[in-house]
Amino acid sequence: MFKNEEMEINLGPQHPSTHGVLRVKLRLDGETVTHCRPMIGYLHRGVEKICENQSFFQGQVWTDRMDYCSAVANNLGWAEANEKLFGITVPRRAQYIRTLLNEFNRIASHLIWLGTHAMDIGALTVFLYAFREREDVLDINEAFCGSRLTTTAFRIGGLREDLPPGFEKLVHKFLAKFSSCLEEYENLLTENRIWKKRTVGVARLSAEDAIALGVTGPMLRAAGVAYDIRKAFPYAAYSEMDFEIPTRTEADTYARYQVRMAEMRQSARIIQQCMDGMPEGPVMAKLPKILRSEVNEVYHATESPKGEIGYYLVGEKGSLNPYRFHVRAPGFINLQSLPKMAEGGLIADVVAAIGSLDIVLGEIDR
Amino acid sequence: MSEPNTPPVPEVPEAPAGPYVYDYKAAPFRQIAMPKTVPLPSRQTYLAEQKAAAEADEAKWQKMLADYEVAKTKAEAEGKDAPKAPVRPVPRKDDNDLKTPVPEEAKDADLLKLQTLLGDKVEEIFEQAGELVCQVKKEAILEALTLCREDAALKYEMLADQSATHYPAAKDFAFSVVYHLTSISRRKRLRLRILVPEGFVPESACPLYPSANWMEREIYDMLGIRFANHPDMTRILCPEDWEGYPLRKDYPTVGWGQRDISFREDRSGMLERIALQKAGQLGINLKQPKAD
Repeated sequence: MFKNEEMEINLGPQHPSTHGVLRVKLRLDGETVTHCRPMIGYLHRGVEKICENQSFFQGQVWTDRMDYCSAVANNLGWAEANEKLFGITVPRRAQYIRTLLNEFNRIASHLIWLGTHAMDIGALTVFLYAFREREDVLDINEAFCGSRLTTTAFRIGGLREDLPPGFEKLVHKFLAKFSSCLEEYENLLTENRIWKKRTVGVARLSAEDAIALGVTGPMLRAAGVAYDIRKAFPYAAYSEMDFEIPTRTEADTYARYQVRMAEMRQSARIIQQCMDGMPEGPVMAKLPKILRSEVNEVYHATESPKGEIGYYLVGEKGSLNPYRFHVRAPGFINLQSLPKMAEGGLIADVVAAIGSLDIVLGEIDR
Repeated sequence: MSEPNTPPVPEVPEAPAGPYVYDYKAAPFRQIAMPKTVPLPSRQTYLAEQKAAAEADEAKWQKMLADYEVAKTKAEAEGKDAPKAPVRPVPRKDDNDLKTPVPEEAKDADLLKLQTLLGDKVEEIFEQAGELVCQVKKEAILEALTLCREDAALKYEMLADQSATHYPAAKDFAFSVVYHLTSISRRKRLRLRILVPEGFVPESACPLYPSANWMEREIYDMLGIRFANHPDMTRILCPEDWEGYPLRKDYPTVGWGQRDISFREDRSGMLERIALQKAGQLGINLKQPKAD
């Protein structure tokens, strides 16, 4: 046992802390990781090929199934990319409702991240608390579009339906208790000694590395770069909203936790503003029954809870389906930074690093 | 029993020439249609198309006028009333919120700067739907990327997305590769585009933008474009031994042994039994006695 030998092990593909079917090939020197190689593709369904062979409208159900924890955010990016391709102006009320639902989705996605990430590290209690509030958000989804997880919430040009009666009551009920719920989670974690030992200084990713590797979302903001597409390239009704971009400079797992917690507070703020300033009017633009595209290519990026989700569409003249449908999945690009974070650290911290990435394999493999 | 309303089965053409040979007779509804046009947005093509359309419109109008003159002289000679003068048709105005973006002239400072710095290596610059597009020569892509990253006035720090499209109908190229650059400090986006023929190996963007690593592997996996100087040019989503490149337009959308299932088809004979029963209740005997 005195020989200095390296050992190679596989983390996953069936491992609860890899959040799906991610396989990480690790080379270890004792407990230190010397080499890390994420291997993906176990959930590859060919979403891009399928969407190229279906009409523009049918692509939405596949965006639900990419990142199933933030389906509304995917729908929003898809709808806006198509609207850019066709040159459609969406009514203002529809923009507000989209913003509202997108922020609810951000809360739901961050809650599922909080629960599972804390569970990976060993804090099992938070999971139950977080899922309790997530259930309320899913109820709101259900009240709006009848579906809880795979929402298919929007249409090209606006929304299918206006808000249902009694929706306002649901939202206010949620907002009234949500800030105290956030305090409850923070009481469990923020000053928890074990939590801090497992996260502070773990899996650092500096701002230069993050930008070079294309990392976006809370990962980038935890490294001190205040880049949020909602502010940098405003879409939907975000230009009319008053909110802050929470940033930290520590660039470690703890900072990412703090950024995401602060983001949920900002989301609640945006929801309140949407409810207060909700304009009246139609929710659907005037469109022909059949949409036929012109020759055009667009790349539209929106801020999903995980980072920048971009849709690259190419339209063919007179065609009913997109000529090219490409998704820039935030998880796919963010996962590239895992070797940078894990190499040189301990094997137990790989789990913390994967958790702080907030990955969903459905969108990485597509 | 009468024929249920089955959809017409499309004619199955011969299998397309190429690496993917599949017998579509088992699944006729899933056959791929090869694209006939090259939907590559470009201001030059757009202007040429507009000019051709305007000329065709003018020619049609002139023909209408000439026809009218002929009809008028004929009517005068026969002593009839003169025919109605033609009215130039105006394009129909649609009452909807669609306003398709067209390629416009490049006015943005970044695009103009790229053109002055790169000179004749730039093939085309234009703006469409508020997006900046710069098409460069395929050999000069690394130079253009270096410029975008290093130049103090451009400063595109992040390669947000890289993707490619297959254009089988084009003559002098087969793929377009697009690079979506983001400048975080200046809040700008730029699309660089190169046109690549089959077999050409463009330079990898990895030395400049490490985020290109997986994106280029994905392009190789899905479309079969290899990149030079890439640290790890292997498949990423498909298994190592996968044959073919799924996002090419000639790749089949049907697997081996897969067949189309018509839900209207009465495979179990259930529909026929119900029909016989209903007819029997009405006193009609649909069961024809057999000859033997």
